[in-house]
Amino acid sequence: MKNRLKVLRAERDWTQADLAEKLEVSRQTINAIEKGKYDPSLPLAFKFARLFAVPIESIFDDEMGRDIEPSPG
Amino acid sequence: MKSIFNALCSKGLPTRDLKNANRVNLLAVLWALSLLIGSLLSQYYSLSALVISLAFIIHTLIGIAMAFAFKRFLGQLDEMERKIQLDALALAVGVTIISFSSYSILAKNGILPELNSAYLIALMALTYIAGIVSGRLRYS
Repeated sequence: MKNRLKVLRAERDWTQADLAEKLEVSRQTINAIEKGKYDPSLPLAFKFARLFAVPIESIFDDEMGRDIEPSPG
Repeated sequence: MKSIFNALCSKGLPTRDLKNANRVNLLAVLWALSLLIGSLLSQYYSLSALVISLAFIIHTLIGIAMAFAFKRFLGQLDEMERKIQLDALALAVGVTIISFSSYSILAKNGILPELNSAYLIALMALTYIAGIVSGRLRYS
């Protein structure tokens, strides 16, 4: 899954280690998520959104789910 | 080569996780030593029921402590490292079951000697380590 974590992090002048400490995960996890090698769980994705004060969908780009039509009602 | 070495040494894990991992490793070494000492003693001496019971109790208690320490270690890991650990455990269990069942066919037909359970433990441990290294390299 593509994401804008690296950009958001750079805007705040945070290192991967800083972000890892704020989210209580390892620096390796932040690195893997930024590179798109690991998709975070929903709770961790919400933590990112809260920390950067932006909606989840503006951080993570679900390219695989674009073909799914929303159900009516 | 350096990345494999780093993956093997758990480089970059938070201090809390390293402490938990070291506790598990220490208990694993004690557990293996208690098994080794018990086996050696029974090989060379005729042990009394009391010594056999003591060896059994000590080995089992260390094993239980190791299982609880590993559970705590897994519980406190961050989600990616936990996934790596669980994937490695699944690989180790799968490889061991398949190897044991395949070997048992050959052993029952007299082609290979009866399998020593220590080999299974060693196979499981080595596959687990290979799984950890492979997982850490995959996500690095």
